[in-house]
Amino acid sequence: MPLDSSKKFGDFSAVDGITFDVHHGETFGMLGPNGAGKTSTLRMMSGLSPVTSGESEIDGIDATSNPRSIRDVIGVVSQQDGLDPDISVRDNLTVYGFYFGLNREMANKRADEVLDFFGLKARGGDSVDDLFGGMRRRLTIARAFVSRPRLVILDEPTTGLDPNSRNQVWEQLAILKNSGVTVVMSTHYMEEAAILCDRLVIMDEGKILAAGTPDDLIRDQAGAEVAQVRPESGQRDSVQRQLKDGGHEATEIGAIFTVRGVNGNRADLSNISGARISYRAANLEDVFMGLTGRDLENE
Amino acid sequence: MNESLASRRDSGRFDFRLRGVVGVWLGHYTAFKGGWMIEMTGIILEPVFILAAVAFGIGELVGEVQTRDDGVSYAVFVAPGIVIGNAMWHSLFECSWGAFRRLQTNRIYDSILAAPVSMRELVLGEITWGATRALMTTAAVLAFATATGLVESPWAIGILGVGLLTGFMFGGFGLIAAAIAPSTHMLTLVFTMVATPLFFFSGTFFPVSTLPPWAQPLAWALPLSHPVRIARALAVGELYMALLWSLLYLIVATLIFFPIAVKLLSRRLLI
Repeated sequence: MPLDSSKKFGDFSAVDGITFDVHHGETFGMLGPNGAGKTSTLRMMSGLSPVTSGESEIDGIDATSNPRSIRDVIGVVSQQDGLDPDISVRDNLTVYGFYFGLNREMANKRADEVLDFFGLKARGGDSVDDLFGGMRRRLTIARAFVSRPRLVILDEPTTGLDPNSRNQVWEQLAILKNSGVTVVMSTHYMEEAAILCDRLVIMDEGKILAAGTPDDLIRDQAGAEVAQVRPESGQRDSVQRQLKDGGHEATEIGAIFTVRGVNGNRADLSNISGARISYRAANLEDVFMGLTGRDLENE
Repeated sequence: MNESLASRRDSGRFDFRLRGVVGVWLGHYTAFKGGWMIEMTGIILEPVFILAAVAFGIGELVGEVQTRDDGVSYAVFVAPGIVIGNAMWHSLFECSWGAFRRLQTNRIYDSILAAPVSMRELVLGEITWGATRALMTTAAVLAFATATGLVESPWAIGILGVGLLTGFMFGGFGLIAAAIAPSTHMLTLVFTMVATPLFFFSGTFFPVSTLPPWAQPLAWALPLSHPVRIARALAVGELYMALLWSLLYLIVATLIFFPIAVKLLSRRLLI
């Protein structure tokens, strides 16, 4: 399922010549801050957004020339739930089946199947407005499965959810992953990418900065452990100078300098004075920081 | 991977699936079925209140009204006007206010378009549902008018078709309004500045010929004047060739509104 495309809005390139390939059965992620071009990429893949140049293909169907046929075979979960508050939870699923041309009997059958699978059976008769964050999101994800898609596209599946609801959704997505479905998802939560994605690309300003498995990316770009250097009061400038003189590449975010490891080893900061130094396991946030000098949450 | 799919291309502007339209319509029908008792008050009771008050209340104070060939009681004159004016309200409300909720507030159009439904099918489904509601209320009010002796000709059965066409025309207009409205606040202009004047000045409550001469061409330019004229002719059984122009107006306006609505909604949603 290769993609190679660009998306321009006037002179602004939202997506600037990115290329990636998704394998059957894997969960593929795009990690990047807001505005990185993740949603534009997913919309192009779904045939919902005209591609300025390039192509996106899923199972031999080109999204640029078959913007609708592509949606026969994929399930799309966009950031807005787009659920209908005027009908019940179950009817939201049944009606979605109608959009795929299912007859009433079939649509009802599928609706019950996914309600069951997503643990929403007891809520079938409720109004959508009675569902709280995590449940609501699960219903939106469940809806994408009514058509039994070959590939599911998830755009920021847990954005805006509280930590508890986010865990619920992750649990569900982990189950889905084990069931062998192919998933392409975007996120700006590094934990989400680390937990769910088999492979991912790190995106910023419409470009892919790095690609690989979460473990490889972390090892190659940030080392096993990163140092967090907290300057004592009044020592910030001195600490910064020492880090620079020592040849350490540090990113300052908040009041903390983060120093990534070199060649898989943690940085040796034993000569730095005037700061508290601690080490922690490197993560994808460090990878992004190393590549851009910014953190993911920064807008 | 799948040869038959790989070699297929969506055939551009001719790519159209009826099941997309049916899916959208069924979605509306599902919601309608869930709240049908309340819906019925708007479909039957409200217009019947208006018709009863105007036809039998005001009608008692008003003499005969001249139709093309004959004179009829005011109650008979006004009934088709109210039936069709009401059809306009239902379709327009559904496709502007209701559509705006689905478009902006609940983002339901985004969900529908993420399924294999094209914009053209979505718009046609929406308008068809608006027209269905127009047909339901036309049938209900027409039945009341017939039962109370306000219909003089069996041709009046054709008013069902006029109500349906009126629904299609104003459904398209309503979607255009929903697509360009930045807020529900602006959308109220559709009712204050469009629907209300149309309802009162389209030959619904009094003949267009009653208006000052300068205003009469304006009244005939209004889209509601034409279905009202056809419905009235059918109700009193006076059919004449010029009605075909009114029918043509209805059809042409519908055919013009439809692609504009598709274009404007595409600009808003498919970016």
